Amino acid sequence: MRLAFILSEIGSGIRRNLSMVTSVILVTFISLTFVGAAGLFQLQINQMKGYWYDRVQVTLYLCVDNSSETSCATGPVTEDQRAAIQAKLESEQFAPYVDTVTYESQDEALAHFRDQFANSPIVDSVTADQLPESFRVSLVDAEKYEVIDEAFSSEPGVDAVSDQRDFLEAIFRYMNWASVVALAIAGVMTFCAILLIATTIRLSAFSRRRETGIMRLVGASKAVIQLPFILEGVIAAVIGAVLASAALWGASRFVIDGWLANTFPQTAFISSQQVLILVPVLILLGAVLAGLSSLLTLRRYVKV
Amino acid sequence: MIRFDNVTKTYDSKSQPALDSVSLEVDRGEFVFLVGASGSGKSTFIRLVLKEDRATRGAVYVAGQNVANIPSWRVPRLRRGIGVVFQDFRLLPNKTVFANVAFAMQVIGRSRAVIRETVPDVLATVGLEGKNDRMPHELSGGEQQRVAIARAIVNRPGILLADEPTGNLDPTTSMGIMKVLDKINQNGTTVVMATHDDDIVDTMRKRVVELRGGSVVRDDAQGIYVGDAGAMAG
Repeated sequence: MRLAFILSEIGSGIRRNLSMVTSVILVTFISLTFVGAAGLFQLQINQMKGYWYDRVQVTLYLCVDNSSETSCATGPVTEDQRAAIQAKLESEQFAPYVDTVTYESQDEALAHFRDQFANSPIVDSVTADQLPESFRVSLVDAEKYEVIDEAFSSEPGVDAVSDQRDFLEAIFRYMNWASVVALAIAGVMTFCAILLIATTIRLSAFSRRRETGIMRLVGASKAVIQLPFILEGVIAAVIGAVLASAALWGASRFVIDGWLANTFPQTAFISSQQVLILVPVLILLGAVLAGLSSLLTLRRYVKV
Repeated sequence: MIRFDNVTKTYDSKSQPALDSVSLEVDRGEFVFLVGASGSGKSTFIRLVLKEDRATRGAVYVAGQNVANIPSWRVPRLRRGIGVVFQDFRLLPNKTVFANVAFAMQVIGRSRAVIRETVPDVLATVGLEGKNDRMPHELSGGEQQRVAIARAIVNRPGILLADEPTGNLDPTTSMGIMKVLDKINQNGTTVVMATHDDDIVDTMRKRVVELRGGSVVRDDAQGIYVGDAGAMAG
């Protein structure tokens, strides 16, 4: 009986206050969408880290004619130096770190270069002897890049040791920024949502002050008086959270599954399945925010 | 049933107290008129009994319990034992007569079956048989006050407080309301009625407690309103 009564009170509250309830739904929808977007960026970063760090290679570029490093003092790399470097890479000492070693000659480097820049006029002016020979080293553990760098950067015949991680880290930095911006927008919008929920509950309490006054007089408990208001806010926020989840899922389905994954097949993207992880988080967040802000409002505006 | 022990209530430290060292006892089943001009402390008395306000000094006992010792979560239980009626009826305009009375039972969790059984009985007690489905605006003032009384007694409180219940009604209608209140009193409910309707007080011949400037100046077992000019001026 009491439950049915509370439900009917909620219904009448929402009907009387429809425009405010709608705005609460929309504001929580937007704010939680941004919260979710920040979450998705983080998921994507983790995914890419996992994917790329397994495939990162360290490249040892060998000396060419005009290298300026001290390890290239003797000019272009010699047969002996190259053999020594390869032997060292394949030695017992580095076996725990090094997974595979591939040699790339100047001709192969040129072929790769031509592939990569096939549409650029620069291809015609580049010759094989301008490109360095290299050893492509894939590591057992990508994090142990430093070991190879220290051991080989001053080795005679090695011009430079380069790690693709620097490049990846720049990408991750940008993505991190994007998620921080999304989180900042989410913060502002969430603040708006809290204020709006508080105002809505205040209006709702005001428009029903006659009922609540009578409820107090006849000895209704605090829960019966306040619960309809709190649930009104919580229901609106949960609807907003469901909309936000649907929007994120839709966006990931069309943008990531439908477009990005096809356009960049070599990149690991999060799937729309992973978005579903966020749904309970968003709904809980919306409910807790609305519950707390209406509870605080009621303490001031509905005396019991 | 209600006992005031040297109760003082000050709303604002600079102004005169609304109640000044009032000691008063109302027994179970009594009918008491609380008379006095506006601002004499009648409404404050009612608010203190309901624990809407707390006494500045002294103690208020309701049904043997010092209300100052009732924790806030138990206050609803205190109020379930007290019915209240006001001058302005305070009905819910968008609910029918039946729903207005039923509301008081719904909010304390009575079952639908009990409500369906009790409400018509109570409406009959106040003389509103057959008006279940009327809306408040379709009723006369007297009928609206009867609905309010029905709502106040539907949960069978031991005490009925009435704050100027006839203030908005003409004399004939007022007498009808008094008959209803008297009947409720005959059934064992303690009734405390604040009023300044001299005709009613003089006709009923019940106990009269007169307040003036926050103090009890008279307590007659079968009193009249008093024609004394001093009382009117106070």
